[in-house]
Amino acid sequence: MPFVMPKDTYAGKVNTLTFGSEDKAVTIGGENGLPFLSFESIIPNRPLIALEIQDVAPSDWPDTVRTVYDGVSDSPAKWARFCQDSLGAKIVALRLTGTHPDRENRSAEDAVKTVTEVLSAIDVPLMILGSGHTEKDAQVLKAAAEAAKGRECILGKAQEENYKTIVTAAIANNHKLIAMSQLDVNLAKQLNILITQMGFNKDNIIMDPMSSALGYGIEYTYSVMERIRQAALVQNDPMMQTPLLCDIGPNVWKTKESAAPESELPEWGSLEERGIVWESVTASTMIMAGCNLLVMRHPKAIEAVNKLVSELI
Amino acid sequence: MALSGVEIFKHLPKTNCKKCGYPTCLAFAMKLAALQESTDKCPDLSEEAKKFLGAAAEPPIKGITLGPKGVKVGEETVLFRHEKKFVNPCPIALNIKDTEGADAITKHIADVNSSEIDRVGQMLRVDLICVTDESGDAARFAAVVKQVADGAPNAGLILNSSRPASIEAAIGHCADKKPLVYGANAENLDAMVKIAKEKKVALGIFAKGLDALSDLSEKVKGMGVTDIVLDSGARTAKEMVEEYTMIRRAALKKSFKPLGFPVISFVGRDDSTFEAVVASIGIMKYASIIVVNSIEKWKTLALLTLRQNIYTDPQVPMQVEQKIYKIGDANENSPLLVTTNFSLTYFIVRGEIENSKVPCWLAIMNVEGLSVLTAWAAGKFVAGSIANFIKDSEAPKLVAKKELILPGYVSVLSGSLEDKLGDGWKVVVGPREANQLPAFLKGRA
Amino acid sequence: MIIIGERISVIAKKVREAMAARDPKPLQDLARTQFEKGANYIDVSIGPAEDDGPQLMDWAVKVIQEVVPAPLCLDTTNRAAMVAGLKAHNNQWGRALINSASGEEERLNNMMPLAGEFNAEIIALTLTEKGIPALAEERCEVAANIMGKAMECGVPMEDIWLDPLILPVPFQQDKCKESIRAIRLFRELNDPPMKTTVGLSNIANGAPKELRGIITRTFLVLLMYEGLYSAIADPNDKEFMDTMKTVDVLMEKRLYAHSYLEM
Repeated sequence: MPFVMPKDTYAGKVNTLTFGSEDKAVTIGGENGLPFLSFESIIPNRPLIALEIQDVAPSDWPDTVRTVYDGVSDSPAKWARFCQDSLGAKIVALRLTGTHPDRENRSAEDAVKTVTEVLSAIDVPLMILGSGHTEKDAQVLKAAAEAAKGRECILGKAQEENYKTIVTAAIANNHKLIAMSQLDVNLAKQLNILITQMGFNKDNIIMDPMSSALGYGIEYTYSVMERIRQAALVQNDPMMQTPLLCDIGPNVWKTKESAAPESELPEWGSLEERGIVWESVTASTMIMAGCNLLVMRHPKAIEAVNKLVSELI
Repeated sequence: MALSGVEIFKHLPKTNCKKCGYPTCLAFAMKLAALQESTDKCPDLSEEAKKFLGAAAEPPIKGITLGPKGVKVGEETVLFRHEKKFVNPCPIALNIKDTEGADAITKHIADVNSSEIDRVGQMLRVDLICVTDESGDAARFAAVVKQVADGAPNAGLILNSSRPASIEAAIGHCADKKPLVYGANAENLDAMVKIAKEKKVALGIFAKGLDALSDLSEKVKGMGVTDIVLDSGARTAKEMVEEYTMIRRAALKKSFKPLGFPVISFVGRDDSTFEAVVASIGIMKYASIIVVNSIEKWKTLALLTLRQNIYTDPQVPMQVEQKIYKIGDANENSPLLVTTNFSLTYFIVRGEIENSKVPCWLAIMNVEGLSVLTAWAAGKFVAGSIANFIKDSEAPKLVAKKELILPGYVSVLSGSLEDKLGDGWKVVVGPREANQLPAFLKGRA
Repeated sequence: MIIIGERISVIAKKVREAMAARDPKPLQDLARTQFEKGANYIDVSIGPAEDDGPQLMDWAVKVIQEVVPAPLCLDTTNRAAMVAGLKAHNNQWGRALINSASGEEERLNNMMPLAGEFNAEIIALTLTEKGIPALAEERCEVAANIMGKAMECGVPMEDIWLDPLILPVPFQQDKCKESIRAIRLFRELNDPPMKTTVGLSNIANGAPKELRGIITRTFLVLLMYEGLYSAIADPNDKEFMDTMKTVDVLMEKRLYAHSYLEM
């Protein structure tokens, strides 16, 4: 009995999305098959990684990853430039953590200042992320979007509670948009529909299915992403064909596994490698489920993931 | 594809004699199709029909048991975990070269023996050891196999050699412990098959590419060995994803028997972190056994956790044990919170309490793994049952002040819960979202 | 489910006149609205067109694809016109669909080789010179014959869309179930399952106007349950399209979202 290669054909493809300005612009998506099956599909753009910085010093990050940015993380502009110039970042993701009401409660004006500073410091594309407080994010991202006009950034995240303001700001200032829903494939589709019905071009949406860390629900994110890609590629659902984003830094680096010293838990082994492998494997899992854009923190984890991607394509 | 009831019915006597215990042949056929009955029940089945139905009832991917503890591999039925649970979590194997020194080997064995960890109440460990013949010296290979078999009596063994003489020399030390003999190829086939048949062990076969592998597999099966483990020679991450996908698709969607067997993946990399990352690809994409070169504790923690996550039943939520968990240096003045035993809920709430740096008692109630709202809607997380749980637990003894913090989503229960608790208990409504816990707890401190 | 928009047909007076006068606008308007309402293919039916079939088809294909980025379903029994249409067809948005071959020897021999030659897909009606078979199994025999001819012509099984033919329920109520059953049996003729199509509006032919909607869309549900791949229908019929989308969602072929009918 001879072996016949079992090739699948796909009715749809993932949208291609380019962001950033001029010669530093980058492109993600465009694949027309399930992840890394190049014997039956084309993968025009490899998954990319954005390095995360914050508008406030990362005092709450575990040692393993905080110390990497000692000396630069007290200034977002310095931090951004370090990521671009010393770490070779192709994209920088600025999280406006300080604007959260339970944190420093910085204002939208403060955010504008930070965004402007960071944009002056780098040429590579910028992703602007709110703190996750849906109400505050609406104002903060609106202001940030205006401040970043002309740089074709990625703005995020628009959620069911606050998408109207953020979408309007993204349209007015020509930015791409991250749409995030809570680990639910049907809600993800509905949010994309609502955003598109406001007049936002569906080709400029990136979906964040809501990430979870290894050991803390990662399989939920993994399966939601696999189901999203089934809808996009097999069912050719035009509302599900956006590229996928996985913002894994906060989830990974708040786990016990990334922070507990070996002395406390000897059966868990060395802390530094443990934190790095925790971020690396969380990332590789997302990559295998179809992630086109990762937001990560530790350079060694990023290196391992980039090496993996080169070996996969 | 398994046969449908109608297809099976075509091969039955169609007499409706009821000897099988079912009213009609069609009813019996439907049971056979659901794998809930055996063809043995029908006394009037022709030999030919029995053979045909027997072959069709075989699982598309063979199940093989390895090692003294009976680790099972294979038997997979789907390509995507969201369709149906992946069946047999892939065991991790530590690779030991027979050229390594005795001390190094002793340490490897000790590492495997002490590799067990507890993850959400499941005991996970490095289950297998692969001894690799690098020396070309049969006596040396046999000696190392003996050292490993004696030193790690609970671990399953993979004998990795393409020299039949080396396998012959070594197999005596472990044949009764269900080892995997790996290294059969087109050149050494006859000798390796002979050993596998004599010693009744599973045989790992290698051929580069799926055409050659299919041919080899068919040949081996024809020679009478049916416990086969496949190695297509995939070594890069790209080859792994592509070839393991093709093998599983062929087995499941095309009923291609030659590739209907478990797959062994040799993942060796110089950098241990990168080796973990490549191994993770194998875990997600269909490897049945994963052989790594090192098993540092941080690495096995990550890989075993990922394996546990990927092999979780998507229908059955993961649950944690019902009990009062102490978080931080909690004492009789620390806050007492209650929530459900859905493991995601537990981990997230626990994580936020830890972030707050406020030591607490976290009362976790068994609601069969449902989240707070789902459990409430199902009537499992209601005032009466919560009150009973708290009063029967050690909580009243742990806290000086009888105050219970309730998840904000079920604030509607607070009055009734206070009544049912009685005894001076006070119920405080906590935040709706876990990420509001740090602010809430710090505010109360 | 795939929809082939049926409105550009020589049977409709407006279309007939536009074709005769070579007036592109009526055809383009019909093509555009059908495409916007969700048609995946636009059917172009020029009838027998004995005098100027090839020129008419060539013209119609070009003016339609000028305004809609979609593949066309070329509907004629005139072989020369079919060839002209296939030559003029822009394959950028999908391959052309030949409407149709049948189990009748001459028609099968005329049309099936064109699918191979022009790498087009092809609808095949399971009737013979003796007419439409009564039983679903008999339709399968015709289908098997058609599939044999396809193999001879180098046409892959995946390119054939089998049509069991629909008889109107007011006159042939006893035959309607057979068409439904035929869809299921046709699929089982190959692995992967054979594609299927029906001219859906035929089911309600002869029924009073107010009944046509409910009859057509209910029949659609039964056919889709058996796995119907496509239908030749009018995508402007909102209730029909809503029914089709709802069946897709219930059979898990389309992801649910609260606004799924708006897609």
